[in-house]
Amino acid sequence: MAQKVLGLTAVDQTSLLRIAILGLISIVAVGSRLYSVIRFESVIHEFDPWFNYRTTRYLVDNGFDKFWNWFDETAWYPLGRVVGGTLYPGIMVTSATIYNALHALNIPVDIRNVCVFLAPMFSALTAIATYHLGKEVKNATAGLLAAAFVGVAPGYISRSVAGSYDNEGIAIFLLVFTFFLWLRSVRLGSALYGALTAISYFYMVSAWGGYVFIINLIPLHVFALLAMGRYSNRLYVAYSTFYVIGTLASMQIPFVGFQPTFTSEHMAALGTFGLIQLVAFANFVRTLIPSDQFRILIRGAILGLFVIGFGGLVVLTMSGVIAPWTGRFYSLWDTGYAKIHIPIIASVSEHQPTAWPNFFFDLNMLIWLLPAGIYFSFRELSDHHVFLILYSLFAAYFAGVMVRLILTLTPIVCVMAGIAVANVFEVYLDFRNTRASDNTANNATNAKSFVNPKSEKRVSNNTADSELISSSASAGEPKGGQQQVSFFEKPSFKSFYAALPKFVVIANLLYFLCMFQWHCSWITSSAYSSPSVVLASRSPDGSQHIIDDFREAYYWLRMNTKTDAKVLSWWDYGYQLAGMADRTTLVDNNTWNNTHIATVGKILASDEDTAYDLARRHDVDYILVIFGSLLGYAGDDINKFLWMIRIAQGVYPDGFKEEDFYNSSGEYAIGDTASPAMRNSLMHKLCYYRFAEMMGPRGFDRVRKQKLPSSVTLDNFEEAFTSENWMVRIYKVKDLDNLGRNHHTVSAFEGPRHTKNIMF
Amino acid sequence: MKASLTFRTLVLFTVLSLVSFLGHAQSLKTLQKLASKDSDGLAKLDIDIFMKHVVKENKAYSVVLQLTALSPNYKCGPCKAIDRTLRSVAHGWKKQADKGGRDIVFGSLDVEDAEELFQQMKIDNIPRIMIFPADKGPQALQNPSPREMGLNAQTSSPAGMAKKLGDLFGVQIQADMPTDYFKYLTNFVTAAAAIGAVFIVYRHVDLRMLGRNVWSIATILFVLLMTSGFMWNRINSPPYMGQTRSGDVILFAPTNSQQYAVETQIVAVTYAICSLCVVALVRHVPRIANTDQRNFVTFMFVAALVLTFSYLNSVFRMKIPAYPYKLLLP
Repeated sequence: MAQKVLGLTAVDQTSLLRIAILGLISIVAVGSRLYSVIRFESVIHEFDPWFNYRTTRYLVDNGFDKFWNWFDETAWYPLGRVVGGTLYPGIMVTSATIYNALHALNIPVDIRNVCVFLAPMFSALTAIATYHLGKEVKNATAGLLAAAFVGVAPGYISRSVAGSYDNEGIAIFLLVFTFFLWLRSVRLGSALYGALTAISYFYMVSAWGGYVFIINLIPLHVFALLAMGRYSNRLYVAYSTFYVIGTLASMQIPFVGFQPTFTSEHMAALGTFGLIQLVAFANFVRTLIPSDQFRILIRGAILGLFVIGFGGLVVLTMSGVIAPWTGRFYSLWDTGYAKIHIPIIASVSEHQPTAWPNFFFDLNMLIWLLPAGIYFSFRELSDHHVFLILYSLFAAYFAGVMVRLILTLTPIVCVMAGIAVANVFEVYLDFRNTRASDNTANNATNAKSFVNPKSEKRVSNNTADSELISSSASAGEPKGGQQQVSFFEKPSFKSFYAALPKFVVIANLLYFLCMFQWHCSWITSSAYSSPSVVLASRSPDGSQHIIDDFREAYYWLRMNTKTDAKVLSWWDYGYQLAGMADRTTLVDNNTWNNTHIATVGKILASDEDTAYDLARRHDVDYILVIFGSLLGYAGDDINKFLWMIRIAQGVYPDGFKEEDFYNSSGEYAIGDTASPAMRNSLMHKLCYYRFAEMMGPRGFDRVRKQKLPSSVTLDNFEEAFTSENWMVRIYKVKDLDNLGRNHHTVSAFEGPRHTKNIMF
Repeated sequence: MKASLTFRTLVLFTVLSLVSFLGHAQSLKTLQKLASKDSDGLAKLDIDIFMKHVVKENKAYSVVLQLTALSPNYKCGPCKAIDRTLRSVAHGWKKQADKGGRDIVFGSLDVEDAEELFQQMKIDNIPRIMIFPADKGPQALQNPSPREMGLNAQTSSPAGMAKKLGDLFGVQIQADMPTDYFKYLTNFVTAAAAIGAVFIVYRHVDLRMLGRNVWSIATILFVLLMTSGFMWNRINSPPYMGQTRSGDVILFAPTNSQQYAVETQIVAVTYAICSLCVVALVRHVPRIANTDQRNFVTFMFVAALVLTFSYLNSVFRMKIPAYPYKLLLP
């Protein structure tokens, strides 16, 4: 046992192995997130990351003070946006710090590359943090398994591939790390670790709105422990330190401000803080007065406090001192709420509830290891395990309600699965006592040592145990050895026979783990590695064709329009427009002003003249629409159009109605059978203007599989640019006519546009 | 020549509309009479009445009609649900004093009374709610073409349907639920049973002994429910299972983004079996003293685990056909 390899003792060997394994896990975690960079290029993905990237560039160029006080007049025209006060600056500050540090070391890295590779780097850190969390709650085996799982689980990769430069990229690391520090501070009862938890929490608050999950889960853990009668001074020290420092620190973020003192989301933490003070005081009193009287006292006190506390909370909420739950959080509890009251939340696909294939897609076998992990946690049920169980419960609920929250479920599923698999390994990788087996005399001892009670036995203890067994086994052997024994009675066969099931179980589990890894790689490469800014299609011969319409169009805007031109588009493209085209937008992905978004929806859904009037009043120079009919790109504006109508209708109820856009047979048609409202709407015209000419007489819409409208007229707007695959179409809002005519008269006078072109 | 043609058309049109105007009052009366026969004010139509009084043009009243199959040998569960909903809306409308000057008739057309029509119009999925708005006179809608009301979670509830119809016709419609005494009774019995159970448990069972197991079972059940897509079912209320045209049962919705209620239950059970196998392998198998028995039980659990996971995998492959990995089962 105590053999030295490379001059290292057994303990050193294991720690070396652990470090090596963790290093490999980190490499795999980073590596599996690089598909998109290898296939496409180092480019920022999707929508929100473009805002983060733009602000990071601003921070690097202008310094922290200017960034903090930045008022962006090019967004939400004409309202503008106080950027410094309305964002979570964590991710920008992190990238800027890395950038500055690298430049201080004379490593000239472009800021874009820092941003692109930030999330993969942090995923390696997440794996390491998960290892420590697993080690804290069980042992190093569970920790390593959990780290390996979290490194490749698609549920987390979906938000952290290279180029997906979003808050979640660093927030999941902070979430796991905060929980690890919290558990350690509870175990040690150390104010130092409590303070470290608070600092990590502060970093999390600065990075992601999901910090609310931490500030509710930790108090819940404390409350559950109190309710189970597990109050201890360790808990008191840990929570009091964490809450005070954490709350004060979180209030330094302008976007959070004084919210921790008055919003409902933070009230649980405050209430638990008060409660633990009372419990501590009661414990102190208990030492001073006789137990009978104490019991009466405590019952009265609990009842009174509950009534006062609950009543106070209700009264304060009713009177508006404590802000009621914000819409997004409310929709988590009452799941029908968003659908009826806030279409803008319901319209986002990642806010939809989760169907089971999504869980299996993102977590594969981990999803059925989770209940097993919960069971094992219940067997031990230390303070740590109470936390793990609560985390599983709430994360599972939230993940069920919203697809995107699978992200917060993933770490706990990985830890639980790590615990479950580690338990299996513990029993079935232990071959020390299989030599002595089927001797009836030995059975009792045998079974006992097989169970290996209280998992963490010292090594020396175990060896002694197995030595004892093997000696007793050899003592029993000679009896049989004297006679000629059959093959099945031979000790070598017997030990093989006793160990066989262990091989089978382990082989089975290892195969499952391999399958898990294949699954993760396949999901990552096929589902989560597309930048969505650049698309790819495959020709029949397998060669790749890159579709780069978005960047083409944004670059055209950047180069060919005035720098102060205002571009109207649906809010999905606001951040990309600001980031890539550098032009003023009316609405963007920061959906803070529903009215303004509804106005844009109204412009797009109105008829041409109303829209022209409204667009001119909002100083719009260009209108941009995304149109997928040529390529069959289903995420285009016509498919989003119903949401635009719904949102507009919610704010301007006296205009059009959703039903008007369905034709007489109740279909959402776009061709000649479309309803008049649909055919006259600006969106329809901008999308299908001159499209039928290009597609020829037998053309049809490749997304909606319908025939094209035969004639689309457009007088008030002028086609300015259409990208290679017609995905992005940009129109100029015409100036007023010099002679004061309206544009319909002008085009009737001048004739169709293309004949005019021929004449010149 | 051309002028006279126009003139003739005009005359014809006037005569026709005059006739239909005289007929109009008659039509409405017929329908209302039919409606008054029913306790909820839901007129039961047949094919003649439908052709004569509902699908005709130039009518000054609106008809809200369900196409349904209520006869028990069709076994149409959704039909009954929608029928209940429509009845409570119709009943509310019947009771309503202020009808805002609107003539709205609620009707029901059963497949048994209009089989040819259903075949002719190729109506293959029911229940459906069709709306035939007034297209003439003061009540005419801007877009008077007949339309279908989409049935979703919202419009399948009486209040939601009433609101949707009210918005369409520009009048307040109050749905009226007939009092469901049976529901009150079951609720009362359930509550009483629950209180009784709590009392018995409190008196006779030592909660401290029971506590951990009960809590762990409850937690695991909850987590299984959540991770098998239960919330999706609650929000989107899918059918319990699918059916092919020939009437065979489909357990799994063929697409990735849809699911049937029964399929989530199956998935939850497979998760539970897999979990159970792992737990049993760790906790219970090693306690078996006899090697033969232990080996046998181990193999059984491994086989169960592999088979169940294979099943899950094959179901997942069916949902996502491009998924390349398989285990035992296709």
